[in-house]
Amino acid sequence: MKLTPYQIVAPLIALLAVVYAWNLVFRGKKTVWEASFWTLFWGAIAFVALFPNTLGYLSTVTGIENQENAVIVTFLGILFFIVFYLVIRLEELEQRQTRMVRAMALREAEMSGKLKTEK
Amino acid sequence: MIIAVIPAYNEESRLAQVVRDARKFAQKVIVVDDGSTDGTAEVARHEEATVVRHVQNCGAGAATMTGIEAARTAGATVIVTLDADGQHDPHDIPALLRPAEEDKADIVFSNRFGQRNRIPFTRRLFNAIGNVVTFVATGKWVSDSQSGFKVFGPRALREIQLRMSGFEFCTEIVREAAKHKWRVAQIPTKVVYSEYTMAKGQSFASGVKTALKILLRSFLR
Repeated sequence: MKLTPYQIVAPLIALLAVVYAWNLVFRGKKTVWEASFWTLFWGAIAFVALFPNTLGYLSTVTGIENQENAVIVTFLGILFFIVFYLVIRLEELEQRQTRMVRAMALREAEMSGKLKTEK
Repeated sequence: MIIAVIPAYNEESRLAQVVRDARKFAQKVIVVDDGSTDGTAEVARHEEATVVRHVQNCGAGAATMTGIEAARTAGATVIVTLDADGQHDPHDIPALLRPAEEDKADIVFSNRFGQRNRIPFTRRLFNAIGNVVTFVATGKWVSDSQSGFKVFGPRALREIQLRMSGFEFCTEIVREAAKHKWRVAQIPTKVVYSEYTMAKGQSFASGVKTALKILLRSFLR
């Protein structure tokens, strides 16, 4: 079987992503369940890269048989990921703001002695 | 020390009774006023609760985490969280505390569906969807994952770290339970639904948004 550069690079990236996910599990930052989903997702990407003919079934189901359709679908995918990225960035900003509001609230409460430890 | 944590947003009409009832079972009551525009903070102070005030509205999850941090600072060993709208019966607190006090559970979830309660169909449906989304995101089944009435034992209190600000925090708590392998107990409790509590809950649109956020976060985390 002769492999194209894409067929070598894509499974390697998938392998790295899977190793990274399970590393997060062992460091206690990701659950086994989440890592399993992640493994399935990247496993599918690696599988499709190694066995592109399996996409024949998908193209029959979706009707994406010509290059123009493929380009549109690809760009839709890219736009989808850009929106994903923006949502995550927005959430990070929201979390930062929440941490600030929390710190202010707790400092104010501590300064007024309301949270003094009772033993 | 047992501390009751009550996140509250514009709850001046219901809060006083909830604080009064909670104090019967907890040594200290902390009310987190999540940027209310009404007299929530004044009512809580009048009832001699400790008030921690957000300068702006951040969401139920953010307010709960603030309450947890405040309780840690105040020396809590066990905390009980409950909603400020009066839907939970504080008389269920002792039953909820028992598994934590007997060291049989690190976290205790109330289960509003575990006994005969008059719950509107839409609430049952939304909660069922919430349970399924939570299971898909965390791999752990909890019969009433979206209830705000919970007890955190010493270990859970020490380890919990919530990042989500909105209603998705209920699912994040289940995720924390799965991640840290906490022992979980579920206790049937009473619930009182009124027009007031129904209006306060999540709408269908916000529920869908919450579900999408949970699934997205759990995949990209």
